[in-house]
Amino acid sequence: MIYDVNHRTRFEYAQAVSISHHVLHLSPRTAPRQKCLSAAIVVDPAPTVRKDGRDFYGNPITHLTVQEPHAKLLVHSRARVDVTGPGPIDLEASRPWEEVAGLLLGPTDAEALEACRFAFASPYVGIDDAVHDFAVASFTPGRPLLAAAMEMTNRIYNGFEYRGGVTDVSTPVAQVLSSRTGVCQDFAHLQVACLRSLGLAARYVSGYLLTHPAAGQEKLVGADESHAWISVWCPVNGWVDFDPTNNCIPGDEHIVLAWGRDYGDVSPINGFMVGGGSHAISVSVDVAPQA
Amino acid sequence: MSSTRARYSAVDGAIDPLPDYAPSGGEFDEVIAPDGSVRPHWREFLDGFAALPEAERDRARGMAARLLRENSVTYVAQGDPEHRDRPWQLDLFPLLIEPSEWKAIEAGLIQRADLLNRILGDLYGPQTLLKAGKLPPSLVFGNPQFLNPCHGIAVPQNVHLHLLAFDIARAPDGRWWVLSDRTQAPSGAGYALENRLVASNSLPGLFAASNVQRLASFFARFSEHFLSLSRHDDPLAVLLSPGPGRTTYFEHAYLARYLGYSVVEGSDLTVRDDRLFLKTIDGLKPVDLVMRRVESEYCDPLELRTDSLLGVPGLVQAARTGQVVVANALGSGLVESDAFLSFLPGLCRHLLDEELKMPGVASWWCGQPQERAYVLDNLDRLIVRNVTMPKTILGPGQDRFIGAELSAAEREALRGRIGREGHKFIGQEPVALSTTPVWLDGQGLRPAHMTLRVYVAATADGYKVMPGGLTRVSEASISQAPLLEQSNISKDSWVLSDEPVDTFSLLTAPHNALRLRRGSRDLPSRTADNLFWLGRYAERCEGTVRLLRSLLTRLHGESDLAAHPVALDRLVKLLVAQEHLSQRRARQAVAGGMGAVEAALGRVLFGRDTPDGLVSILGNVRRTANLVRERLSEDTWQILMELVETVEVSGPGDSLNVDEALQLLDRMIRNQAALNGMIMENMTRAYSWRFLDLGRRLERIRHMVRLIRNLAGRGDPEATGSLGLLLELADSTMTYRTRYKAVPRLVAALDLLMADETNPRSVLFQLNAFETHMSELPSDSSEAIISPIQRIATELHATLRLADMEALAGQSRRDKREKLERLTHKLEEGVKELADLIARTYFSHSMPQHVSGPQWVEMPS
Repeated sequence: MIYDVNHRTRFEYAQAVSISHHVLHLSPRTAPRQKCLSAAIVVDPAPTVRKDGRDFYGNPITHLTVQEPHAKLLVHSRARVDVTGPGPIDLEASRPWEEVAGLLLGPTDAEALEACRFAFASPYVGIDDAVHDFAVASFTPGRPLLAAAMEMTNRIYNGFEYRGGVTDVSTPVAQVLSSRTGVCQDFAHLQVACLRSLGLAARYVSGYLLTHPAAGQEKLVGADESHAWISVWCPVNGWVDFDPTNNCIPGDEHIVLAWGRDYGDVSPINGFMVGGGSHAISVSVDVAPQA
Repeated sequence: MSSTRARYSAVDGAIDPLPDYAPSGGEFDEVIAPDGSVRPHWREFLDGFAALPEAERDRARGMAARLLRENSVTYVAQGDPEHRDRPWQLDLFPLLIEPSEWKAIEAGLIQRADLLNRILGDLYGPQTLLKAGKLPPSLVFGNPQFLNPCHGIAVPQNVHLHLLAFDIARAPDGRWWVLSDRTQAPSGAGYALENRLVASNSLPGLFAASNVQRLASFFARFSEHFLSLSRHDDPLAVLLSPGPGRTTYFEHAYLARYLGYSVVEGSDLTVRDDRLFLKTIDGLKPVDLVMRRVESEYCDPLELRTDSLLGVPGLVQAARTGQVVVANALGSGLVESDAFLSFLPGLCRHLLDEELKMPGVASWWCGQPQERAYVLDNLDRLIVRNVTMPKTILGPGQDRFIGAELSAAEREALRGRIGREGHKFIGQEPVALSTTPVWLDGQGLRPAHMTLRVYVAATADGYKVMPGGLTRVSEASISQAPLLEQSNISKDSWVLSDEPVDTFSLLTAPHNALRLRRGSRDLPSRTADNLFWLGRYAERCEGTVRLLRSLLTRLHGESDLAAHPVALDRLVKLLVAQEHLSQRRARQAVAGGMGAVEAALGRVLFGRDTPDGLVSILGNVRRTANLVRERLSEDTWQILMELVETVEVSGPGDSLNVDEALQLLDRMIRNQAALNGMIMENMTRAYSWRFLDLGRRLERIRHMVRLIRNLAGRGDPEATGSLGLLLELADSTMTYRTRYKAVPRLVAALDLLMADETNPRSVLFQLNAFETHMSELPSDSSEAIISPIQRIATELHATLRLADMEALAGQSRRDKREKLERLTHKLEEGVKELADLIARTYFSHSMPQHVSGPQWVEMPS
């Protein structure tokens, strides 16, 4: 499936900002099931300094510095991506999870070594006893990894309430677990924490999800949203995605922007500015299927 | 153990230098060999020490205590919620190390520095150590100190570690062991330097006779090499500090001054065009080199910890483009994790093709199944550390468990954590430390356990070791030996030389390789701000002291003021007008008569919670002085400290003994005079001096016009004696007498105090000085129009010059001098505006704010 993605972010400040620095993770990366056909980021006012490159995880990354006084900043990312679904996965045929955890202790090939980057606690993914206890309820001894991960996805979907405004990016996993409330990002952090507490490798994936209008209604431009889910490493299968917010294995309607250990590694826009006073951010995302 | 008598085998008739010193025998003692004899390299020193008369020893200890106090050598205890400065403790009796042994230590630590630097270079680069299976990946990816944004940043000459430290200790068999590696931003080198200064000054004869290797060239060679790494000529180097109130701020200012760098905080810096700049009063100056005392993860909120208030947004990118060199390189904290200890022997063979020369403490990293099993089996006797927690400044990391001291439940909990996240923990053998004599309380010498922190720096000729270091001692029993790392009793460490020593010193040499001149060229805006306020507070202090002295003299002396309730009333009103006393308290005091007024004065003088009392003004002097310490000479600093400590040391509480109080105030006025003398005669006319003096001038105008208004604004000041008091407070009595040789008259006094340009206390004199300073300060010269500061100053100047003194002295309505009142208000307002404008023009250093998007607040459809 080919999509055109338009992601506009608009910052407005009460007073002029004299200088601002931003780091963007807004260009879709290439992934095994995804090709980025074209991508462009337009910034207004034009930044004095702009560097496009790749981060430690291979994600496209853009550094911007706007050095002229500005009271608003518009960042518009446009991309065309081609996404393929994963095909059928036999969850029950995957390796027992303890075996995979064992492989990660002493990785013998490049793929396993790369997976080790995602096997430990990270700034937004704390691991404690409660997380571990929640995890082992699905990860019973000898259970195939992917089957257990699917069940965990299911438990989060059914056991947690999706509610915005209760949490923010810095809400600890422990609080999400105890309040059983959060948004996609919190559920992704929780599931990543659970998998890592078992010694498994799990990524936080930042991206978009195609939304479908209610029956009989026309799709509104710009009403889509950023989304977050997870990916777990299992030999032979490779990285397999799970979406705890929607209780599914992502197919060709999930578009990947970037992956990392947690939100902090791949925040779509992270910025610091001098001056500005209070600020308002408005975001509009539009995911339009082309074929 | 042989008897103390028998073990001393020097020349017949010599005094036994260690009469009661008795090491336990189970451990290695630095001075006494197992056979009871004094180790050879100690003999000469001990003879000299034994020959010191008691009075000389007392003098030495007294001098050391005084030097440490006067230099305000302090540290803030880790975890102290109040961030209180505590005095640094130095035990004068040094540790002596013989030359051949030191050579072995040097060789071991140079190899280790080289090894750690190579490991960092690999882990932040190709990561071949992980690919080849030489290091388990969890040691890197499971360690929060591996900062992935810093991966791939090239560093000049492949130097990641510019200055590092090792804590070493001696085992019972005499071998040295490494307890801990310090690669993040090692502290203590400045304290070692200060220890040397104090010890060599307090025991000058012994020091000179001992042929001790000097420390200064170590810092010179470090700095020379560091400066050479800049891409630019004439580089600007800064020391990035988390700011006052942090554990070792004393040292940050001390080292910055010693090396000739500017001490800065994150908010003093900004990144533009991928270059780092310092905000100075003269605009932005490019910074080429950063010696950081902020942990890597806090250095850039944009790419590292977004919650950091200590860093500079964009610093990582500036380092990435090679525009700035950061020492130690960002991310260097990774290899100080104790998890590396057990891998170093293998890595040394792999990377250097050599055996590791100095072993580390026996350690088992629980990320491997066999090692984990060993640690779990021996949990009751090992020491377990969480190696992912950052190390504290001088002590070990948090989360440390002494197996033998854990309860059964605690041990089980620990067992669970190790089982679940083994890579976070190591088990270590408890270490037996050597003993060395302590002499701290001046009693006999007693054995205490010790460790030694040694510093290693990258130089043009590879790594070099500082010949000396920070010896720390503790009298705690051996089972608590690991806690020694928290001890704050230190010693100077004398590395003896068998060759003539290099007596080069940065502190005394007027010319050296370092570019000390830049301190005056680049004045950070924040420093200018603090100097300006130091000037204001110092002047406010002087005005207050003079006022209190005059009032006390009148209360106490033969003047008839006490007999006249009206006069008493005026005195109290003056205290209110000068904002030293609240209206409510003033009414109570007047109603209570003489005794109550005395008590009120006592509170202004010594009360700790009187908002505008002397103690709180002095507190502000101390605080601002601390913030600009590296800009003040040692002598100026000491005079300032004597001044601020006068009341703290001798303040007689709430009860007022007038004689004592007067003596104290006299002493303070002399101190003030000394301070003013230092500032006028000994400070170079750089920007820092100008800001200090600007503050003083503006404050003096404010003080003077208030006095004039309050003492001469109404009534008949000539008759009531107010005019005499005014002249006295303005320190202008003598000038007036020599000029007029008559009873004070208002018109003449007003002219002398306001418009007489030759009187250094007059308002016009201050305005002239103010305008001279402003003409020397940088301004945007492209602006053809007159600046608001110039406009206000010129206007005030003209008003004063044109003022008709006869008219000002004349009363308009009832007994009030409205013209005088208007003029003094205008001047006071003008001063306030000028201060605001100076702050806006030169002192802006706001902290950047953070935005991050998106935030999910809506349910996706």
